[in-house]
Amino acid sequence: MSTTTSTSGGGLRGWARDLGMGVRFAVGGGREGWIRTLLTALGVGLGVTLLLAASTIPAIQAHRTERRLAATPTEADGPLAPSASTLVVADLRTQFRDRPLTGRMLRPDGPAAPAPPGVAALPKPGEMVLSPALREFLAEPGNALLRQRLPFRDAGTIGPAGLAGPAELKYYLGSATLSTDNGGVRVAGFGAERKSEPLDPQLLMLVIVGCVVLLMPVAIFIATAVRFGGERRDRRLAALRLIGADARMARRTAAGEALFGAVCGVLVGAALFLVGRQFVGGITIWDTNAFPSDLTPNPLLAALIVLVVPLAAVVVTLLALRRVAIEPLGVVRSGAGRRRRLWWRLPFPLGGLALLLANGGTSGAQSVVNPFLIAGGATLFLLGVTLLLPWIVDAVVGLFRGGPVPWQLAVRRLQLSGGAAARAVSGITVAVAGAIALQLLFSAIQGDFMKITGQDSKRAQLEVSLPTHDVATIRKMTREYQRTPGVRGVIAAIDTTASRPGPLRKGEPFIPSTSVTVGDCASLSELAHTGPCKDGDVFIVRDHTGQVDDSYIRQTARPGAAVDFAWPDRTGQPPRPRLWTIPKDARAIESRPDPMGMPSFGLFATPGALDTALLDEPQARAMIKIDPRFPDAVEHARNTAARIDPLTSVHALQNMERDAQYASVRTGLLVASTATLALIAASMLVTMVEQLRERRRLLSVLVAFGTRRATLAWSVLWQTAVPVALGLVLSVAGGAGLGLALLRMAGKSTVDWSVIWPLVAAGSGLVLVVTLLSLPPLWRMMRPDGLRTE
Amino acid sequence: MNPAGSLLEARALHKAYGPTPALDGADFAIHPGEVVAVMGPSGSGKSTLLHCLAGIIRPDSGTVRYGPHALTDLSDARCSALRRSDFGFVFQFGQLVPELTCLENVALPLRLNGTKRKEAERRARDWLTRLEVDDLAAKRPGDVSGGQGQRVAIARALVTTPRVIFADEPTGALDSLNGERVMGLLTEAARDTRAAVVLVTHEARVAAYADREVVVRDGIAREAVGAA
Repeated sequence: MSTTTSTSGGGLRGWARDLGMGVRFAVGGGREGWIRTLLTALGVGLGVTLLLAASTIPAIQAHRTERRLAATPTEADGPLAPSASTLVVADLRTQFRDRPLTGRMLRPDGPAAPAPPGVAALPKPGEMVLSPALREFLAEPGNALLRQRLPFRDAGTIGPAGLAGPAELKYYLGSATLSTDNGGVRVAGFGAERKSEPLDPQLLMLVIVGCVVLLMPVAIFIATAVRFGGERRDRRLAALRLIGADARMARRTAAGEALFGAVCGVLVGAALFLVGRQFVGGITIWDTNAFPSDLTPNPLLAALIVLVVPLAAVVVTLLALRRVAIEPLGVVRSGAGRRRRLWWRLPFPLGGLALLLANGGTSGAQSVVNPFLIAGGATLFLLGVTLLLPWIVDAVVGLFRGGPVPWQLAVRRLQLSGGAAARAVSGITVAVAGAIALQLLFSAIQGDFMKITGQDSKRAQLEVSLPTHDVATIRKMTREYQRTPGVRGVIAAIDTTASRPGPLRKGEPFIPSTSVTVGDCASLSELAHTGPCKDGDVFIVRDHTGQVDDSYIRQTARPGAAVDFAWPDRTGQPPRPRLWTIPKDARAIESRPDPMGMPSFGLFATPGALDTALLDEPQARAMIKIDPRFPDAVEHARNTAARIDPLTSVHALQNMERDAQYASVRTGLLVASTATLALIAASMLVTMVEQLRERRRLLSVLVAFGTRRATLAWSVLWQTAVPVALGLVLSVAGGAGLGLALLRMAGKSTVDWSVIWPLVAAGSGLVLVVTLLSLPPLWRMMRPDGLRTE
Repeated sequence: MNPAGSLLEARALHKAYGPTPALDGADFAIHPGEVVAVMGPSGSGKSTLLHCLAGIIRPDSGTVRYGPHALTDLSDARCSALRRSDFGFVFQFGQLVPELTCLENVALPLRLNGTKRKEAERRARDWLTRLEVDDLAAKRPGDVSGGQGQRVAIARALVTTPRVIFADEPTGALDSLNGERVMGLLTEAARDTRAAVVLVTHEARVAAYADREVVVRDGIAREAVGAA
């Protein structure tokens, strides 16, 4: 009696003793024990790495933003006078193929002008200091066009303090001529204040659901990993029962083994994280990368991970052993004989939906989002999906009969241990269901965050700003673009303003004026419906939509009337008139938006009709048509722009423009879902390899009596594919349900079902990848070594 | 040992696992319908000899001939095909596919050979009846005793009517009563079908069912003194 009491003792001491025995089993279990511990540690370690990485995301964002702000020129409240400690700066934005380059031109006013963060000394005229990534990028053999664009002397390196991330392509260019008159801004130094905007409620909802969706598969993966090698461990525990341990003690001992594996996993995860973050600088995902020092886990979250993961290992093991009777003479799995019940599983997804719907709507920018209700609802719902999966797998595979040998082997295996199969794919089910819900929400709300720019990228592909007011230079630039390889045409126009000559009249708040556009017939036809046009023609362009008040045009741009191009100069003295008479045969025509989507009105003149020398402070606009078949045509055009003036900005016409916050949330979720899918693939692979290891002897026997490799490979494929297919069906149903609930919260009713298929395809692709990667270990385990018993 | 007219014949087999030689010039021959016990202490190379004879592993040197075929020269696919059609196997333990029923386990070699499921299961049922375990047809291996499982394994080895049966310690995991019953059934069925049996064992009691004995020691096979 006393013996019984001492062996099955409860309380903390009993727990500590049994867990400790489990740890000793794990440590002293020989090769098998170590392999099992290693598998668990690797699996848990991968999950912990991902959790630690996730906990660094706020720090990454904060550090990147801090450095970006520190390198931003400080805005002065008013105009600054030049002094020994001021400098003139101008942004140089360009792009090479799909990589954006951040440049800034600098001209110090005096010797005490500060250098930007990360830069030891200001570059001299004709010199540049650049980021290490840009130096490498420039040196790449295929980037000769970029070398032509930046032919400046390399005078130094921008240090980490001046870069958002190690992969940023950034440079500072020294100038002798930059001034506030030709595009520069005078500043006293660098460093800008953070302007924080509250996140849109719909985006906040996306972030919360995204976190739940991405972290749940990781949690499931960790729960799966602590059960690696469970069958073999249970057989050893049966031996423990034989020498007097009771069932509770055996379960705790098993939990102790899992605890040891999980603690090792936390250590492995921490080590993988520390090693991995040294290489993080070389990885850019969706245009985001960071320095190793940026990857600092949030201390509270890190502490939580370190505590919760081992605790979860103990809980999961105890729960898993509920259906396993470890008897002195062997292990009996009661799961095979007992039907899974549906009644207790359904309340989870239904409860989750109820919580989500209880949150109300988030359709207005001022709506209040309850993060706990949303996170709780999404978690419960997705947990419900994972709980439903084993029931569905059992119910469906139970219906299968017959079929070819590989199918029969797979189906029978699933019938006997559908729970293990469901566990393996529950990660993918949750990930795909969550991703479907998110994508449904994304596609429904993207209209709120996408702006139609009105630009027409079919009529022209590039817009160039020409920072000059000199007509001769503008013409020269236009000719240079026309000569650029790959350019099909240039829509170029010189813009200025003309006013009615004479002083202000009584009752007039200002002198009526009109815009004036000078260009050849081809260019003008892109800005207005000119009809027949020849050099020497003049047009009066009116609004025909009735949406624009063009009364000022009627007062100034009249055939036969005189207009004055002169602008008052800075001295405030009345300017010398620059008069021109509008020809009497000037035709009235209707406006047409240019490829940038901007309508133009007023006087349109061909060069033969108007002497451009008369124009005061003219500005130029040019839009370039590119030959899409010409390689790097866009880069050639950008090089021409940089050659004319480095301050020339070139940007590609876009039909749509995304809201920056929306874009960054979407980017973040894409980065994280890529990592989650990779983890799920790893999880399924480890589970499959582990199952194969446990069947090593059987595989050898099957080979002995002549089973073809293909038969077993197909059996592995079916064994993976059947639960995944069922999981995907459940994901589509669950994802659609969750997505519709989220759409209802967002006040949206339009559903784009097409977003489902890429995710289903990704899930199916994972099956193939896992099967293909399982084949080498399968071939290895089919060797006859497994038959040897001595 | 007289190789003339032999069904399966091995000459000068050498096989080493790393630096440890398992077979060091072993010869062996067996005739149709003959039961030969391969005996020897643990680690002497008995199982390795059986695996080489069955074409499961390739010897480092030496030849194995089965009728007109040199097993040592056949591709893995041809060897596997031969094992499916002409050889049967019984091992000590862990040989039945746990998720298949006993009937499906016995039918498996036929199905791997392309026999339709119904026909395969009909023939499997016949063999289960013959081995007195037809009541186990619907049960899974985990639900039957060790002796019953070995009988199912023997039925599976015999279902394709093989010309050679390889039995590696077939009674090693059974008590003596069950072991004798299993051996009786195996040898009786083999003789009925004129199948040769290569029986690896270290138990003299089991070897007594054989027509002759070969002893493997230090990787060399010798005819046992006093054997038939």
